[in-house]
Amino acid sequence: MKITVDMSLCQDHGQCAIAAPAVFQMNEEGKLVYEANPDDSLREEVEQAADVCPVQAIFIED
Amino acid sequence: MTGTTLDTTVPYLNIADPSFSITSDVVHEARERSWYARTNYGIAVLRYDEVSKLLKHPKVRQGSIAWPAHNGITEGPFVDWWNSWILNKEGEEHHRLRRLMNPAFSPKLIARMVPRFQALATELIDNFAEPDRCEFVSEFAEPYAARVIAILLGLPESEWPIIARESATLGLAMGVTFRQELPKIEQALFTLYDYVDELIADRRRNERDDFVTRLVQASRDTDKLSEQELRDGLVLLIFGGFDTTRNQLGLAMQTFTRHPDQWRLLAERPELGRNAVEEVMRVNPTVRWVTREAVEDFTFQDLEIKAGTTIHLFNESAGTDPRVFGEPSFDITAQRPPHFGFGGGAHHCLGHFVARTDMSEALPLLAKRLRDPRILEGAEWLPDSGNTGPVRLPIGFTPGS
Repeated sequence: MKITVDMSLCQDHGQCAIAAPAVFQMNEEGKLVYEANPDDSLREEVEQAADVCPVQAIFIED
Repeated sequence: MTGTTLDTTVPYLNIADPSFSITSDVVHEARERSWYARTNYGIAVLRYDEVSKLLKHPKVRQGSIAWPAHNGITEGPFVDWWNSWILNKEGEEHHRLRRLMNPAFSPKLIARMVPRFQALATELIDNFAEPDRCEFVSEFAEPYAARVIAILLGLPESEWPIIARESATLGLAMGVTFRQELPKIEQALFTLYDYVDELIADRRRNERDDFVTRLVQASRDTDKLSEQELRDGLVLLIFGGFDTTRNQLGLAMQTFTRHPDQWRLLAERPELGRNAVEEVMRVNPTVRWVTREAVEDFTFQDLEIKAGTTIHLFNESAGTDPRVFGEPSFDITAQRPPHFGFGGGAHHCLGHFVARTDMSEALPLLAKRLRDPRILEGAEWLPDSGNTGPVRLPIGFTPGS
């Protein structure tokens, strides 16, 4: 699957990193880093992450 | 506060003074002199960029856990409940609870409730005792906020007075009379525990396709949620969603009575409801400050902040910071940088999609029906710090349709 995060919206709240820690992490500076092409087995938690994002910046493309 | 060395030339704000107003000129003048001020309990952060960074800084945690102890209350049922709050948890324990709670607040789920929110707002306005005036808190904000929670949790809406009454009593724990009111507060806590125990028992007998059933199943079928965590969490959901929404709706009315042109615009263009909520929360947020605590020593903008330092992030001061927002203005059509009325970071308000949705439905309906609103005599307000809002808000208006 392919993910994009609109970094102009992202406010680094880190809710995605709580919902899907295998895909989204907050680095030592508190900034988001993520895997753009995670394995399809992670789809459910990625969908949770997109759902929970306070600014709705996460998009699942396929 | 422990140990942070403070430059005595920076402003000092006495935030424990009962007459202190967090939205006063004193605070705004301090903001122009310095990004932070010294206070009785640590530092106050006054500017937008610094609030944004410290809110989510990796070296801070949520700062309210010590509140009961600050008030001399170190044990008992209230403290046990307080320590159970998801807001007062950190790390993996926090994340586990957050993952369990999140599905109840999914934006997709909330979007389906819009017609019910609209019908509720209309019903409440239709039932005002007088055609051209109302007591906004008891006739609108309170029943609206309480019944939204009832809708969300699948409780009978007719039971909203229990939610309102007991939550308001629990809310006394956030104020200066916490210690004196403790017996009353603990009684309210027991009443809400009894109430959610009945709710849990009901969902055990009759499973439904709802959030409470899902939590009951998680507690029964997995080790993800203990019985006590389930009770504590449900009481927190009832409490946490009520006070804030009631207060924020009252504050929205206050702001719009000062900007009648914007109220008329909202009546004409209800699609601006969502933006109106953001604009109100930027300039008049019920959560006047968000608290953080340094978990280790760190340096921020040349200020050495020691572990244990309390950091108050002043929301209104940040939301009106001229460096970001220019001259003071209130414009529901403007696209602004995000405000911090829902906090931020790992503890970002769990219920923000509900609050945003229910208020963005209520405000345009109110604008249509309550034309030219003005605040009448007899308004009473909570202190302008911590969490604020009207206790009573009589409003006169010209009836619209």
